[in-house]
Amino acid sequence: MDLRGEEVEKMIVLDSASYKYQDIISAISNINLEVREGERFAIIGANGSGKTTLLQIMNGLIPLSSGRIFFRGHEVSTKSLKEKGFMRFFRERVGYVFQDPDVQLFCPTVLDELLYGPLQLEISKEEALDRAFEIMKMLGIENLKDRPSYMLSGGEKKKVAIGSVLTTNPEVLLLDEPTNGLDPKTQCFLVELMLALNEAGKTLVIATHDLSLVDELQATVGVLSEEHRMEKTGSAIDILKDEELLLRVNLIHEHIHRHGDMAHRHIHSHYLFHRHEK
Amino acid sequence: MRDWIPSFLLVRPSLGSFRLEGKAKISFLEKGLHHIGEAISTAYRQWESTSRNGFLQGVDARVKILFMAFFLVIVSLKRDIGSATLISLFFFVLAILSQLKITYFYRKILFLTFVFGFLIALPSALNVAREGELVLPIFHFSKSRELWIYHIPETIGFTKEGLHGVAVLTLRVFNSLSLSFLILHTTSFPEILKALRVFKIPDTLLLIIGLSYKYFLLFARILEEMYLAKKSRLIRDLSHGSARKWIAGRITFIFGKTQQRGEEVFKAMLSRGFSGPIHISVFAKLGRWDWSVGTFLFLAGVLILWI
Repeated sequence: MDLRGEEVEKMIVLDSASYKYQDIISAISNINLEVREGERFAIIGANGSGKTTLLQIMNGLIPLSSGRIFFRGHEVSTKSLKEKGFMRFFRERVGYVFQDPDVQLFCPTVLDELLYGPLQLEISKEEALDRAFEIMKMLGIENLKDRPSYMLSGGEKKKVAIGSVLTTNPEVLLLDEPTNGLDPKTQCFLVELMLALNEAGKTLVIATHDLSLVDELQATVGVLSEEHRMEKTGSAIDILKDEELLLRVNLIHEHIHRHGDMAHRHIHSHYLFHRHEK
Repeated sequence: MRDWIPSFLLVRPSLGSFRLEGKAKISFLEKGLHHIGEAISTAYRQWESTSRNGFLQGVDARVKILFMAFFLVIVSLKRDIGSATLISLFFFVLAILSQLKITYFYRKILFLTFVFGFLIALPSALNVAREGELVLPIFHFSKSRELWIYHIPETIGFTKEGLHGVAVLTLRVFNSLSLSFLILHTTSFPEILKALRVFKIPDTLLLIIGLSYKYFLLFARILEEMYLAKKSRLIRDLSHGSARKWIAGRITFIFGKTQQRGEEVFKAMLSRGFSGPIHISVFAKLGRWDWSVGTFLFLAGVLILWI
């Protein structure tokens, strides 16, 4: 049930999910999670806590070491993804934007990149082109359509990577550190875009350590600990005011600095908490 | 805000289920990537086993490199099965004392020994290659023949001397591999490189090998990520043609990235004072434990030689 008491379908469910990188290093451990349709869900945690791994598992890119994952009630596994019908069903509904757009962009030009998804879905060329141009207009990258990806700036690459996923019209968007390394203007644009997409019905799952992004999106938050466990799940307001939790998972830290001759010690997050103690 | 959004993004896909369309083919791309994943996995396993608190892990890399060189000579000098088996047992005990996972450790060694030791040497056990006492006849002709420089006897089969030779050679390969793997699984790659300086290998060459190894792992990771990115956008089976096109594009990308990374590393070296000659950090002095283990290994080698 959502806040209005309406039945909302569970989109992604993780049941005791664990993954060990190369069967040696634990990346996520015993995660239970539910992402509901139309939800904005943020996975936050310090570097190396397993955020990216969790997103890749939600996209069926890496197999779980133990536990299970479901998309709209269907189990996502190496076996189920070998079934052509399910692979198509799943991949056209769940889009993944990688942290590093360089690894994601592989077509000769921006336009080819945007057309890749729709053409795979066997959408007519005319409609595919319409989609590509509409997305370029939305992202403000029409002038880049004939450029190869290596001739783009970081922000432009990120926009193209998002656009290349959006042209297939997925229901769920998995975004790995979407605002990382971008200038403030592009960051602001992406936040507005994410809110607009969510308003249009898209389910968003974002992996980030940027607490201001979590605050701006007012997402449901899952906090990963440095031991790769889901420490707490709750609303952005509840999580962001839980200083003890954020300190424990290393998302904020104690910090000493000087104002003239006065030295201060306070909790520091580069976001909300910059409160001086007396 | 909705005005922003193209109308097609507001259309919801039909809910419900999917149609069964049969199994998707596993592309050669996936198989190839699997091998790259294995290479990374091997590196991780080695790193993990080198950081265990075992017997050889605590010994200075120079001692281990000298031990390896000394025992490789011993392995090639001993020509009887008894001594070779004794050496195998000695390495087995060292592997156990070093807390290595024995099954994983010997799986690869046995495979490589079978291919490069046993299979390659096996034809030499036939009486076509060398005469001897026939113990296992396998084919019978009506009469013996001469073929070029070979004498084909009436009965072709394995000889006692030949089988002995195959056993010795197989054991030698097995022992040499066990020794090399023992060092690789108990010493980190950078330590091995530094220790190679005892053989007066130039620092420049060692630096290049070290950088190449680091680059290999780095690019294997990038390649793995690129493949995952491709997989996440893959809705249908990937045809061989489009897989080849993707590979070609990605090779260009990796090439560009390598060049860019190389330039960046060089700039970083310059900014940190590089002016031509390469200086690799020096080793600490050997400790009492290193000397003790070194002496023990040396004496063990002499004993095996004497036997």
